[in-house]
Amino acid sequence: MSGPTLVELPKDNYSFGAAGTKLTIIGGIVGLLALGGAAAMGVAADDHLGRFLHAYLLAFYFVLTIALGCLFFVGIQYLFRSGWSVTVRRLAELGAGVLPVLAVLALPIIVSVAMGNHSLYPWTDHEVVSQSHLLEHKAPYLNLNFFLVRCVVYFAIWALLSWYFLSSSTKQDSSGDPKLTRRMEIVSGPATLLFALTLTFASIDFIMSLAPTWFSTMIGVYFFAGACTSSLSFLILFAMALQKSGRMTQVLNTEHYHDLGKLLFGFTFFWSYICFSQFMLIWYANIPEETEFYLHRFQGPWYWFSWFLLLGHWAFPMAGLLSRHVKRNRKGLAFFAVWLLVMHYVDIAWYVLPTVGGHDAHGIPFGPMEVLSWVGMVGIFLAVVGFLGSRRSLVPLKDPRVTEALSFENI
Amino acid sequence: MAHRKTPEVTAGEQKVFSYLAEYATPQALVEACKAVRDAGYKKWDAYSPFPVHGIDPAMGIRATILPWLVLGAGLTGMVLGLLMEIGLNGFDYPWIVSGKPLWSVPAFVPVAFETTILLSALTAFGGCLVLNSLPDLYHPLFKKKRFAKATDDKFFISIESDDKLFDEQKTKSLLERTHPTALESVDDDRKVNAALPRPIIYGLLIATFLSFVPMARIAQARYTKSPDAPLNLVSNMDYQEKYKTQRRTDFFADGRTMRPPIAGTVAQDDLALDDHLSRGVQAGTNDKFVTDFPPQFQVTAAAMARGQERFNIYCAPCHGQAGYGDGMVARRAEELSEGTWVAPTSLHEPRLAKEPVGHFYNVISNGIRNMPGYASQIPEMDRWAITLYIRALQRSDAASVDDVPANQRGALR
Repeated sequence: MSGPTLVELPKDNYSFGAAGTKLTIIGGIVGLLALGGAAAMGVAADDHLGRFLHAYLLAFYFVLTIALGCLFFVGIQYLFRSGWSVTVRRLAELGAGVLPVLAVLALPIIVSVAMGNHSLYPWTDHEVVSQSHLLEHKAPYLNLNFFLVRCVVYFAIWALLSWYFLSSSTKQDSSGDPKLTRRMEIVSGPATLLFALTLTFASIDFIMSLAPTWFSTMIGVYFFAGACTSSLSFLILFAMALQKSGRMTQVLNTEHYHDLGKLLFGFTFFWSYICFSQFMLIWYANIPEETEFYLHRFQGPWYWFSWFLLLGHWAFPMAGLLSRHVKRNRKGLAFFAVWLLVMHYVDIAWYVLPTVGGHDAHGIPFGPMEVLSWVGMVGIFLAVVGFLGSRRSLVPLKDPRVTEALSFENI
Repeated sequence: MAHRKTPEVTAGEQKVFSYLAEYATPQALVEACKAVRDAGYKKWDAYSPFPVHGIDPAMGIRATILPWLVLGAGLTGMVLGLLMEIGLNGFDYPWIVSGKPLWSVPAFVPVAFETTILLSALTAFGGCLVLNSLPDLYHPLFKKKRFAKATDDKFFISIESDDKLFDEQKTKSLLERTHPTALESVDDDRKVNAALPRPIIYGLLIATFLSFVPMARIAQARYTKSPDAPLNLVSNMDYQEKYKTQRRTDFFADGRTMRPPIAGTVAQDDLALDDHLSRGVQAGTNDKFVTDFPPQFQVTAAAMARGQERFNIYCAPCHGQAGYGDGMVARRAEELSEGTWVAPTSLHEPRLAKEPVGHFYNVISNGIRNMPGYASQIPEMDRWAITLYIRALQRSDAASVDDVPANQRGALR
């Protein structure tokens, strides 16, 4: 590269400013209060925190997958040297920037497991393991010490990568050095590989091991699909909210939303493909250790919940997002972004909640504790996004590919 | 803006196909397109080396119906795929696969998914060709040397004379107003050059007819019989230089291709000299079953636990976990009562309680009545462990409350 050819961005409001600070304060206070409330209810429930830890894990994984999806989004934009997405990329960098804080928010789960609370992960209980050949066989992987080591590795990798992309991209805002882009393009390859491995194993550890005798080789890619739909929905809604408040109005237009919508549509169908593949392989093979998982979800109220998940995460949004006119229409796209975020929560709930109380409980355990956990987790997520956003421009100011993004057209 | 003077066209002598205007930049092309669009022309086209953004609205092109065709074809493919599977597996050739119902939608989804994609993709491909009237073997524009630049660095608009609004003077002046870098008329030589040479047409017709011959021969062979040997296209696969088992050979004196093992051969690791351990009989006999466990087998709590575990895996399905001959398989067989079933024996029959341990070891190894032998599945030590557990089961049937340790009697009810 011979040297930076800087393009002046159109005159516009690119700063989060006071609104970001406000979001930090309100989100932070509401978030901490809500999480505190949920924890207090959990302690009062007197079930060894079983219900609370599940509700907390559900909300935590909802936010974690969004942040990881954002990290993946940033990674592939550099990997493909994509130009169209430059003006929306900073929003994804902010979403991924929450990952170091999520490492702290993971502590209640990790610490309670380390302190011998078996209500979340039965495989931490030696008595349960000694009763089961399968769990004894899995013990070299599913044991407390190795679990803790893995958690440290995951969050270290995520925090490092998200910090690297956010700080390099921010540095470019002032220097305009194209070498930074080149460097990030080189890092993005291994980063995407690391992302794939860590997301896969984290999903095995945090979600699959809730039912430790069950196994599915698709769980990693399943949550990858969920992370992509939810993070794209988040990006769409975040961008729309910022534009509505009069920020970055000239650098993002229908063409960018159309492309985000295309990705959202694609990953919605990808999710369905993976979801069905996981089901069909287990259904066809009919091996007791595997079918047990679906058996619990085809009984009682979970039966209709499963149908709702399938139709709500596949048929409805797929049919709705099929048309170009919906993807190019702000209201239409916003509706399906909100809908898919709800369905992403439903999706994780479908994994996490049936194991509350060791499959014996009847009904779907959904109440104030689950709502408060969700409000708390999302509140803190937005607070951190606001905090990071108010300290830098909302659009990469001197990215060498920003012209491509500004003149981007689909048709 | 200098442009070449167009050649004079004399009416009636040579028909004009179109007026061709050349532009240097895509922006100029888009602006010119807007002018032609606004003038109301329908039969005209723009040519560019690469897709130009915004050309569709500039040319006034309406949205294509191709997406609807693809959607329709996709849904048709899905329905046809499902109907095909339901028809084939549900009615035409009912076949239970993996214990699933004949109509099992989850199993049908992958095929229906593929047929959806197949018809969508073919429709997108074919529809794209048909809607663009392709393939187009000849076009008068190809005669223009200048037009070759349409694949390089120049942009063109061609307004065709078939258009209702076409008027040589008016069309020409309209294009002149769009500031082309060149403007010329294109002769209509379609009638002269459009036809393929006769030999090619006849050749294609003959080739088409000939192409049906192999298909017809195959179709015929499907329904006729022939005394001739099949064609051997690759004979060294049909006739191989080797001897198969059970075949004759002149090479060996006994005429057999298979060689019997040399007398007295024992397979490696298969030598069972210890009759007590391996066969459960007294040394040198065939039917004198031993009454005690072999010295290699330690009667311990661990051996008992192992025996219980193996028993529950291999024996309990028929004999039941307590050994009363009421396992799942036995109960189901009784229920079906098909007449060929020999019920598994209860291990608590007084006759069996008197049998020596060697008897049980022998039955486990070699089977009895319709019970198969398990020697190939269960190693020797495990067979002895199961025997030990059977003894414990038999003992438990005759147990009294005095056998239970005093401190655990409270748990009994």
